[in-house]
Amino acid sequence: MGNTNPIAKILKNSALLLYALFALFPLFWMLLISFKHDREMFNTIFVFNPTLENYRVLFSTGEYIGYFMNNVFVSVGAVLLSLAVGVPAAYALARFDFRGKEDLAFTFLSFRFAPEMLVILPLFLIYQKIGLYDTAFGLIWVFQLISLPFIIWILRGYFEDISPEIEHAARVDGYSWWRVFLKINMPLIKPGMVAAALLSFIFVWNNFTFTLLLAGQGVVTTTVASLKYISSDTVHYGQMAAAVTIAALPEVLLALLIQKHLVRGLSMGAVKG
Amino acid sequence: MSSIGRPDPSVPFADLANASPNRNMDKIPPIPFMRKARPYLILAPALLLTIGILIPFFISIYYSLTNYSFKYKDYSFVGLENWTKMLTDPSFWHSVWVTLQYAFFSTGTEMLLGIGVALMLNQDTRLAKALRIVLIFPLMIAPVIATLIWQLMTNNSVGVIAHALRSIGINNFLWGAAPKTAMFSVVLIDVWVNTPFVIVLVLAGLRSLPKAPFESAMVDGGSAWFTFKTLTLPMIKPLLLIALLFRVMISLQEFSIIFALTRGGPGDTLMSLPLTAYNEAFTYKELGAALPYMLILWVFIYILSYYLIRYWSRAQKNASGS
Amino acid sequence: MGDSNMKKSHAMKSIILLVVTALLVFLAACSSGGKSSSPSPSASGGASPGASSPQAAADDGAFDWKKHSGEQIDVMLNQHPYAEAIVDRLPQFEELTGIKVNYSITPEENYFDKLTTALNARNGNPDVFMTGSYQLWEYAPADYIQELDSFVNDPSKTDSGYDINDIFKGILDGDRWDLVPGHAVGTGNLWALPLGFESNVLIYNKRALESIGAEPPKTFDELIEIGEKLNGWNGEGSYGVAVRGTRSWATIHPGYMTAFSMSGAKDFEIQDGKLVSKLDSPEAIEITKKFAELVKRAGPKDWTNYTWYQASSDLGAGKAAIAFDADIFAIFQGSEGASQEAGNLGTAPPPIVKEGQPVGANEWIWSIAMNQSSKKKDAAWLFMQYFTGKEHTLWGATQAKVFNPIRQSVWDNPDFVERISKFPGYYETFQAVIDNTSIKFTPQPEFFNTTTEWAAALQDIVTGRADAESRMKQLAKDINERVSRIRVQ
Repeated sequence: MGNTNPIAKILKNSALLLYALFALFPLFWMLLISFKHDREMFNTIFVFNPTLENYRVLFSTGEYIGYFMNNVFVSVGAVLLSLAVGVPAAYALARFDFRGKEDLAFTFLSFRFAPEMLVILPLFLIYQKIGLYDTAFGLIWVFQLISLPFIIWILRGYFEDISPEIEHAARVDGYSWWRVFLKINMPLIKPGMVAAALLSFIFVWNNFTFTLLLAGQGVVTTTVASLKYISSDTVHYGQMAAAVTIAALPEVLLALLIQKHLVRGLSMGAVKG
Repeated sequence: MSSIGRPDPSVPFADLANASPNRNMDKIPPIPFMRKARPYLILAPALLLTIGILIPFFISIYYSLTNYSFKYKDYSFVGLENWTKMLTDPSFWHSVWVTLQYAFFSTGTEMLLGIGVALMLNQDTRLAKALRIVLIFPLMIAPVIATLIWQLMTNNSVGVIAHALRSIGINNFLWGAAPKTAMFSVVLIDVWVNTPFVIVLVLAGLRSLPKAPFESAMVDGGSAWFTFKTLTLPMIKPLLLIALLFRVMISLQEFSIIFALTRGGPGDTLMSLPLTAYNEAFTYKELGAALPYMLILWVFIYILSYYLIRYWSRAQKNASGS
Repeated sequence: MGDSNMKKSHAMKSIILLVVTALLVFLAACSSGGKSSSPSPSASGGASPGASSPQAAADDGAFDWKKHSGEQIDVMLNQHPYAEAIVDRLPQFEELTGIKVNYSITPEENYFDKLTTALNARNGNPDVFMTGSYQLWEYAPADYIQELDSFVNDPSKTDSGYDINDIFKGILDGDRWDLVPGHAVGTGNLWALPLGFESNVLIYNKRALESIGAEPPKTFDELIEIGEKLNGWNGEGSYGVAVRGTRSWATIHPGYMTAFSMSGAKDFEIQDGKLVSKLDSPEAIEITKKFAELVKRAGPKDWTNYTWYQASSDLGAGKAAIAFDADIFAIFQGSEGASQEAGNLGTAPPPIVKEGQPVGANEWIWSIAMNQSSKKKDAAWLFMQYFTGKEHTLWGATQAKVFNPIRQSVWDNPDFVERISKFPGYYETFQAVIDNTSIKFTPQPEFFNTTTEWAAALQDIVTGRADAESRMKQLAKDINERVSRIRVQ
């Protein structure tokens, strides 16, 4: 795509590199300070004595691992649940024509309108009353507000782009609805599904307000826990950086894993027409 | 994207589209009840999972009509008093302005930057391939943590960026600490965290575009900008609008970044609607007075999204039509 | 979709749906909110000790640590060295009493949000929680807190060795209030037991002062002069005096309030039974101008973003020459190996503002309090007296980081004195200020409301967006309006 003008290419690459510098420097620096001792935090920049102390503290009590696993469980659970109910919902909104379709679609979207602070207090009271406070399921449920609208709306777009003719044809020829869905629809929506799942996972993984107020000590997540390292005697930036680095790993892993699928999906759909 | 429907040898069963004899689906017999109910049934689980939020939502509306406060045991119904007080308070209008500014600048920058970077990442160079994976990373940092990191880097006493700026002669850039630069600072952090969101969506869209139209455009010899404007843009518009929609929604509600950097200060510079509501609810502990701010925000978001979606569906129609 | 008729019918349907749901839920909300909305003019609010809490009735005979063995209590703690000290000794407590403690620790920035939410549910969770003194002014009138005199004075509930008089009177008084807005602390019910306290003083870097041949400043004007001279004392990014500056009550109560009170200014006065703000008085305006000058001439450039964390870490990193903040900075940053400048830090009393005024600081006290709706008050009380008792306080002060300890016996203890002597000037400063160190604010339930606005005004003055006189006058007007909304219960 585009032209092969060498000057344009150099400009493009420089612009890309500039953005990459902007995006990646803070991450690089954060990684750097996770290896710095508190003592050297403020008087050294790139040259210092690296130490694993911050990571050691993180793992020494074993608490952090617990928080980490909490986060994994809750985030994965939330996204899987959203996919399980959201993919069919998106399909229904794309394929069928029925009364109230646009209203329903907009309604799903409107759940994302509610600023967390608007609902957090009544939600807290309700959760305490029905015993969902400080439970993984409670968080998974409330996270649906964040991930479900997103997944439905993205996938609806992808489904709408798939012409119904193919499906009808396959059905008429005796292929079951399920096989049609799996073999035709899924590959075509894969890039979208994968992108939506990854982004939802990230939003849910990093959520702060709900996990702070709807969970106690039973389900502490990494974002809240990372702030623990801003202790009250001094700020342990090194430990916080270490905590954040570890916390980001699952997201990184997920992104790396699905890169393949983003590509595979595209090669299925790109060579068309 | 609309050309996906045309038969393609690499897609299973695609050849059936034209081969099957029973293709007269135009005349569909009257639909029995189960068929009619089917879409609703499919949607039911998703709806059931999320409809529950209406309860806290309406409870909040109820409380906004009272003088419920954490500081007092009892409360009473006060009708629209909280609402009228809010609407006649000049600081409310200031909050609205701050909120809109924030959303406009961050979303605008993210969309433009995101599209630009996605276009550049869509190439097949090694640089693009490598960066494609890595440039999403900022999104993985929770906004509150990202703010702490940026604050540490830009702190005038100990920050590495402040140090770098000083070495090229910029001595007094106060980032979040000065009224003039505070908005810039929070928008910068928001852009840093959220541009990858736009990049991922646009890239997903770009990567599923059919190659043929672009190949013929290249043969015809149009400029890159022309190709972009007439071919690429309309085809990815639906995805663009979703990205825009979600970014608008989320940036209007943004709280953690401003709170973590300046708590709404200096003075009232960054007192957006969420900040004001937080202050009212958790610092002043006047929940009844705080809720109208959030409800008004909800209304804004509702209206903005409604219009964005109308535009989206029109664009969707155009994209499939062309 | 697409034509306006369909859109209209869509809109109509949405509205109908919304209204119907609203009505249903409204009814539901009314019935569940009914408990607190029935206007029972609560004459309680803790006025009559024990009347609202049947559990405070005297038990059978003797005190016994194991009386409530087998019970469980929930404790909410703020991320703080005091909390860490408690958690470290939970095993000892659990062994002594047989009570299981479930605790949660929340970062300070968010702790009170979570606490307020939890208390508001009025369901007995948590049983015990950490709180500051100012928060008591909100929580006690709202009937969230169990008064404690009935427990302290009951020999069957309190260990005879507890010795409440060992706790500094000024500190204990900080947790005592009669709930009348405008009345000073020190009378009325005891609402919480102190865990530790801070007074606000000058912590300075010895190298810095030596480099300009100066002694620690004695007056506020000296502080400004010396502070300004110290800008750049340690290279890039270094400056004179670190003070807090965020748009928060936390900015007002340390150094600023200490100077404010020493200048003779008052925050409120009672006139005709009403609270009237005195922030527009000449003294208040004068001291605020001076403080702004301090920040502008000697303070950190990013002052409006400065919290306790930035101020203390700047001191430890050798960026700030002096900090006008909590005395425990000297210990946290000055302990061996804690920071770069550890070993170079000294402590001095806060600078006086007017000649002849006695030196005294505003104090901040962390305490633990009992939830009024707790269902395990006796067990909770055992927890509270254990962790404010002689043994734990001594342990915390000598083996952990519980500074400043609340008990006279600890300050007299040789181990503690030896430990403290490692921090130059610390003990002397403590002795110089303790007599006049108290809570300088006028207690009232809108405290956080008014002090946050105060901080915003201070920010406006320092950043030059408004001049001190007009801004403080505007602030006083604003505060008068806010406190007029105090509902007497």
